[in-house]
Amino acid sequence: MGDHQKDMATELKSGERRVLYLYGMTQARLSAPVRQPGVDLDSQIEAVDCEGIVCWISRVSAKEFEQSLATNMENLDWLSTASVAHQRAIAALAQKTDVLPARFGTVFRDENSLRKHVRARMRELTKDFERVKDADEWGVKVFESAPIAATIPKVKSGKDYLMAKAALLPRKNAAQIPEEELADFQAALAGVAEDTAAPGRISGGQRGLSFQTTLLVKRSNRQQLQSVLKKFSKKWAATRSIECTGPWPPYSFVSQDSKSQ
Amino acid sequence: MSAPGTVVFSDTSGDDQISLVDILDHVLNQGVIVRGNLIISLAGVDLVYVGLDVILTSVETAMRHIAATSQPPRNAT
Repeated sequence: MGDHQKDMATELKSGERRVLYLYGMTQARLSAPVRQPGVDLDSQIEAVDCEGIVCWISRVSAKEFEQSLATNMENLDWLSTASVAHQRAIAALAQKTDVLPARFGTVFRDENSLRKHVRARMRELTKDFERVKDADEWGVKVFESAPIAATIPKVKSGKDYLMAKAALLPRKNAAQIPEEELADFQAALAGVAEDTAAPGRISGGQRGLSFQTTLLVKRSNRQQLQSVLKKFSKKWAATRSIECTGPWPPYSFVSQDSKSQ
Repeated sequence: MSAPGTVVFSDTSGDDQISLVDILDHVLNQGVIVRGNLIISLAGVDLVYVGLDVILTSVETAMRHIAATSQPPRNAT
């Protein structure tokens, strides 16, 4: 009858077409099912076997994540909700086993197209699993300390108040850390990390940011990382402060397809 | 900003507040790219044009939204 070809697996009750949104891959199936909402906070994540690698996907609206993805990414409310949900889904897997996280916004039309692409990258993926084994990603930032001022002095006008307040903010272009001190810091971090990667580009413009890096650290070295950061934090107490976030899934330590060619 | 001499550790696996810029730094910039002509879309970082100040303030909205919807379905079988 209908010459309308439909893939039932990606067809919803509502009739809305769905695509497979990829969160990441693991080497083994998990013994317990994972109950975790997907990037749209509605679909549930599920496992798809791909030639011995388990791909974690959820079935999301094709309209929202295929046709309108670029537009949606410019909508900050949408982007913030979706990126936090993406992170949560991968983190739920990472708590159970080593995971190779997928880049935000990677979708496939169906299982066959997903399998085909995983098969084509099998060699790199196997290497990546080896690289991130028992390790997490950590973000480290060093900020120039804000000038210490007790309170905003009594002012006569609103303009004076705002100017006094602005003067307390860290400068937009923070002073660089002196070369020798920075080298010491980087060497100490290299001593506890397996690898380092370029930091993300989004927070590069944060006020007072002097230095930023991304590290891959074995779980057994987590305490050592904290010790290094505490040591430098004491040393820099008068001038700088350190922030550390993690553990992240190893987003920055998976091979980037044919980018390096 | 932390107090002098201390490190601010924000644990992503606990209840610590993680700023949205940090999430975007890790989530958007990297990750496995599985490329091919059958991939129907791949989000590029360059598409994202957002001011940092806006990002910092909107994380609260996102977290509220997620908290409201992240309860697992009770009728799941």
